[in-house]
Amino acid sequence: MDAFVKLTSQSQGKDRILRAMQNACALSMYLLRNRSERKELVAKLQSLQNSISSGRKLLRLGNAANSIEAAKRTVQLADKVLRLCLTAANINRALYLICDNALWAGKVGLVRSIDKERWSLNASRFYLFSVVLHLTRDVYATLQLMTLKSKDKCFKRRMDQHLSQDPEVAQAVIPQLDALLFLLWETLKCHPAVALDTLRNICDLFGPLDKLSIYHSNAGLVGFCGLISSLIGIVTVLQPTLRIAP
Amino acid sequence: MDSWVRFNAQSQAKERLIRAAQYACMLLGYSLHRGGAAAELRATVSQLEAHMSLTRKLLRLGNSVEALEAAKRAIHLSDSVLRLCLTIGHLNRAMYFACDNILWAGKTGLISKVDQLKWSQRSFRYYLFALILNLTRDVYELHLLMEQEARSRNSKSPASPCGPPASDQLSCPSSPATPPTVVLPLMGAWLRRQLQLVRAVLYNNPPLLLDLLKNSCDIVIPLDRLGIYPLGAGFVGVCGLASSVLSIVTMIHPWLKLKP
Repeated sequence: MDAFVKLTSQSQGKDRILRAMQNACALSMYLLRNRSERKELVAKLQSLQNSISSGRKLLRLGNAANSIEAAKRTVQLADKVLRLCLTAANINRALYLICDNALWAGKVGLVRSIDKERWSLNASRFYLFSVVLHLTRDVYATLQLMTLKSKDKCFKRRMDQHLSQDPEVAQAVIPQLDALLFLLWETLKCHPAVALDTLRNICDLFGPLDKLSIYHSNAGLVGFCGLISSLIGIVTVLQPTLRIAP
Repeated sequence: MDSWVRFNAQSQAKERLIRAAQYACMLLGYSLHRGGAAAELRATVSQLEAHMSLTRKLLRLGNSVEALEAAKRAIHLSDSVLRLCLTIGHLNRAMYFACDNILWAGKTGLISKVDQLKWSQRSFRYYLFALILNLTRDVYELHLLMEQEARSRNSKSPASPCGPPASDQLSCPSSPATPPTVVLPLMGAWLRRQLQLVRAVLYNNPPLLLDLLKNSCDIVIPLDRLGIYPLGAGFVGVCGLASSVLSIVTMIHPWLKLKP
């Protein structure tokens, strides 16, 4: 109960819960799409999804400023790659939010002549760039951690143990690939924040890729990935140690 | 910019901002109606108001739990009047939020047969009870502080040059029957002294003043919606906007929030 109150009292937490609900609706609608006896339920889910979506657009109205502030902070990072990736990601996110605000203004009727299709595509593009940059940062962080780990003596012993464990398997599979995968697995196990962030960004890719027609998946996959990404987001709000830094 | 980011990160702050915008739309709609503006503009404003109201209902979905937790904390207060007022106030708020959630479910179509009017009236009734209890708490705190202030004033100046205080004269049993021409000025003097005390207490306690103003503005809304004391959309809009702004001020400056 305490955790629930802590979660909902934060704006980000509430937004992620709403996003999880929205994606759960999308997934449920996809799973029930062929069941004619559930048409009423599907209609209700659609109405709920629309309501949550428009509510979230209103709630995102001031968030571009947050992203610009985050970009100002990341510009001062020491590591060049991190500085580039995160600043560019934050700027792209700010642009995505501005497009989203314009779409809200058009939907609500404040701005009459707005080309919804164009603004929607631009929003998806900026969002995709932002996710790709976050993913690049995740890959960079993982590589750095893997390099560090490979130099660790304790780990080297465990690696040799693993490789000599099953000699038949090691001969069948390329030993270098096996060693690399073992290193990757061990690194991600020791740094759950990086693992969760990578998984979340991979899941976030499917939405804009589908909307921009780069990689056509179906509404069910987009909903499922969105749901996983929102759940990971909720976990990182509840447990700040699982959030990747910076 | 930094303070905006911190402020924005609080969910309640966003809800208050949207509330301020909603009542501003209500006020704008009323003035457009009075000014005879185009029907399209009025329709846009009223649509915007409805959209904000629905979004706030969406944002309030988990607040019953928060109110129940606040009631659980309030039960442990030492002062019995505060304990009663705050606990029952929070419970009423929890009921208000529960009715509000049902209204949201009805509006989004999750529950098909929701009597919007009945549940709306119910939610406003709980809201009214919660506000009455909040105002009772404010008046009680004001009374305590006034007593404290009066005692400190009496201890600071025991030999008052303006003669014995009115209470002495009124409580003295051996005093002759006071003619009506003396009672009214005495009451006037007493009233003036009480008002001076109120002014001094409120001036020295801005959290209490803000809370009192906020609750007084807020109580107009359910009184109007329940038809107990209809005041018109314009006045309701002004009061709603004022109470939202005061609430935002207490969030920006947490020291201005009345505790507990």
